Amino acid sequence: MSHAPADRHPSPPPAPGRTCSPPPQHPLPAPRAAGLRATHRQAWLGPCRLAGVLALGLAAPLWAEVSFTSPGLPPTQMDDQGRLLEDWGAVAVKLTGAGLPAAPPPAVQSVKLDGIIPAAQARSQYGPVAVTLTAFRAPAWPAGLDVLNVRLTETAGQQTSAKLSLLLPDTVHLGLKTVTLGGRAVVGLPTGIKVSQAMREWGWADDALAMPGWATPAVECDPAFRNIRAGMGGVPILYRFKVEPKARLNVVLGFCESYWAQAGQRPVVCRVEGAPPQELDPVARWGQHQPGALLFAARDENGDGLLDVAVLPKLGAPDQNPILNVIWLFPADTQPNLEQAIAGRLNGAALRYVDVGGSNDQSLYAGGQAEYAFQLPPGGTEELTFLVACPGASVPLPDRAAWTPEKLRQSAAQVWRQWQAR
Amino acid sequence: MNAPHTHHQCSGCLSRRQCLQVLSTAAAGLALSGEFFPALAKARKPDPDFVDPAALRPHPKVRVDAAILQQPRPYWLGWPGTTYELDRHQREYRAWLAQSCQRLALQLHEEEKPIEDESGMTAFLKGVKERKPDAVLVILQHMSGWGWANRLAKEAGVPLLVFSPIGTSFTGHVAGFSRQPGVYVVSSLEWPAVEDGLRMVRAKRMFEETRLLWIRGDQRNETVLDRLGTKVRAIPRRTFNELFDRMPVNEEVKEVASSFRKHAKRVVEPTWQDSLNSARAYTTAKRLLADEQANALSMDCLGMVGAKLVPTPPCGGWTLLQDVGVTCGCEADLFGATSLMLTSYLLDRPGYMNDPVAETVKNLLITAHCTSGTRLYGFAQKPVPYILRSHSESALGISVQVLWPVGATVSLIRFSDTNQLIIDTGTVVSNVNTPPAGGCRTSLEIRMHNVEDCRDVLGFHQVVTLGDHRRVVEAFCQLYGINVIHSPEHAARGKASA
Repeated sequence: MSHAPADRHPSPPPAPGRTCSPPPQHPLPAPRAAGLRATHRQAWLGPCRLAGVLALGLAAPLWAEVSFTSPGLPPTQMDDQGRLLEDWGAVAVKLTGAGLPAAPPPAVQSVKLDGIIPAAQARSQYGPVAVTLTAFRAPAWPAGLDVLNVRLTETAGQQTSAKLSLLLPDTVHLGLKTVTLGGRAVVGLPTGIKVSQAMREWGWADDALAMPGWATPAVECDPAFRNIRAGMGGVPILYRFKVEPKARLNVVLGFCESYWAQAGQRPVVCRVEGAPPQELDPVARWGQHQPGALLFAARDENGDGLLDVAVLPKLGAPDQNPILNVIWLFPADTQPNLEQAIAGRLNGAALRYVDVGGSNDQSLYAGGQAEYAFQLPPGGTEELTFLVACPGASVPLPDRAAWTPEKLRQSAAQVWRQWQAR
Repeated sequence: MNAPHTHHQCSGCLSRRQCLQVLSTAAAGLALSGEFFPALAKARKPDPDFVDPAALRPHPKVRVDAAILQQPRPYWLGWPGTTYELDRHQREYRAWLAQSCQRLALQLHEEEKPIEDESGMTAFLKGVKERKPDAVLVILQHMSGWGWANRLAKEAGVPLLVFSPIGTSFTGHVAGFSRQPGVYVVSSLEWPAVEDGLRMVRAKRMFEETRLLWIRGDQRNETVLDRLGTKVRAIPRRTFNELFDRMPVNEEVKEVASSFRKHAKRVVEPTWQDSLNSARAYTTAKRLLADEQANALSMDCLGMVGAKLVPTPPCGGWTLLQDVGVTCGCEADLFGATSLMLTSYLLDRPGYMNDPVAETVKNLLITAHCTSGTRLYGFAQKPVPYILRSHSESALGISVQVLWPVGATVSLIRFSDTNQLIIDTGTVVSNVNTPPAGGCRTSLEIRMHNVEDCRDVLGFHQVVTLGDHRRVVEAFCQLYGINVIHSPEHAARGKASA
């Protein structure tokens, strides 16, 4: 017997969540979620903060650093500013909005969720809006996940507009459902809500992986055919281009399959807005390592000023990881010659030329943060749950995991109970 | 045609008491020759350190809600038709359902009266949401019940099993609906297929209830597998060999060693001392599982043997445990172990994880490894013949060459991860002997079905198990959102890339 080769597919993704609840009938003075209770914990306290704690007369000291973990896993720390400090960078939350003041330093404390799960909690008051961050470690195989819940509560009885920013390192890329850093998925974004920040002129808005140099074209062709982005685990590849509303364009997509030698393994479905979808099996059509291209008569059909270009796995395909090598956008009145495009001779004539997964590729959003806009009704609350890569871990890829914030919390409680019962 | 016995019946035909007897029998290592021995019944001095392997297998609470869906009577025109004997069929189905639940030890909450209007369905759904069962089963008694089935699939929030006896659906009803995640549809008169669905629900609960010891490295922690819900407790590798060192040669060890030799078709290399060591590996594993409140394990056995920390690989002990439904995986391959758990929990039979080899002259797949169960037809069935051999890579201890039935169909099953499973089938052509071949002791030549070239078979450490289980395994995966793939049907043309 010998050791098995590494599995080709990465591990599964989670499903972060967003919940929204109507105003409670009897708002609590302090935003404390059900099942939470403050606990003593060991933390270093500077003299000033210790004085603050003593002045407040609190049993559980505040304004300190708190760490939390799951049995046997390296801990994560929430610092005295309420930031999660991970091995890839810090995650913080900021609230802005008309009339909202800057928040004082948050009150950070250790709590136990469901009476057993160690967690860190930071509470801030931005004028009429209370912000509570609660983070715990979920024991998701193999290395765990940090679950960060952000709860906004309007406490002054007035309708309030606010923008919540998840502050991240500048080097991260913001995708549709995840934030990545150097190919590592480091944050899973909440489901059911879209980021509200400004977009670039074009870019990818998905959770696929860039794999430069993956393909090995057997003929001379545009160098972009060497690179791909791959939707590992069935993740659709999605690009968006700003165009004039209702604009018509010719879109050419380039493919080169270099993994499979036989047909039928990785058929994909290409969906370009305004054009009929096309199914493609690159090996069946052109052969392994052979570059090829498809033409689409595209149109911004919904008039939103964005042209969507997507490549998805074909349902039931053995290999569910779609790939894409090149995108060209041409004016509608130009009929591009596909052989010339493949050879790289039409790049100059294209309105856009995207070396997918290569050097001129980009995310639709600038890195550094994810923003969410809210209208909080009087006494209302909003909750967002982010999954955060803890030390040594990645956030699982979207659409593959069955994890929900609730299941992660249940698992954490189960594991802690059984661990303590040992 | 539709008798309530399933083709996976195995332990299903035994009472719990009988089943426990069989499990204990095998655990004592005394029933491996194909017969159950009266000697088993002999009184033995109670041993306070004895670990009953039957208690190691997870016994989860499994709750199923069920209802019959009909239309107000009397029926007139339309299917199933005025002549359809509603009362008789419903009595029959209720009885079969009760029997199945008893066989599988499921807790059944059954609607007393058939649901026949929208308000009844609304009330049923409300109850389901409150009770949160592990699955819902509905038995259709009219063609118009599909709308309610759709509603349940969308709103119940738990897996849905639909039994549509012939006369209650057309292809159009099932073509799309039956292929959606979270749903299992039986459009047939074959009740055993319904029991298969219930077995899937039980298997999922067994996964959730399982704590798997991952014996490797030097870390101790506990995590949970997505989708399956299995707890993975990592413990340092030395835990096993340190416990093994302390494990005495007691009466149980001697009995297991003796019986293992006695009922073998042949004993080739292993000495009596090898047999004792192998039996100690068995008692060590049981003790460790009990101490850690665990139900399955996968161990870095090769590393341990390579470092000469134990005088025997655990293979022989793993065979004994596999035969009573306790998963013991090799090489700390976590998804190899979960694949073994699937054959154990869903199919009630052992398998073995294999190293796949291409036999390019005969275009056959050779599947070889050191640990295979012997009760290939089911835990409650007679074992197949086996030969005691040494572990071929180290020439140590006991590794079993299990002689698989030539001509039988086998399934090859492998979780790539918790989101994807590979399944293929083939026919056993021969048992491969070592020598002349090298490699592991249990080794089969398999002619693959629907795979043109043996070199293209997907996976590594796929679990080989007896029988064609493609449809049941695929249905299980669909019910729980796991993607299923198969090896390529057509051979690769040209140069394949890495």
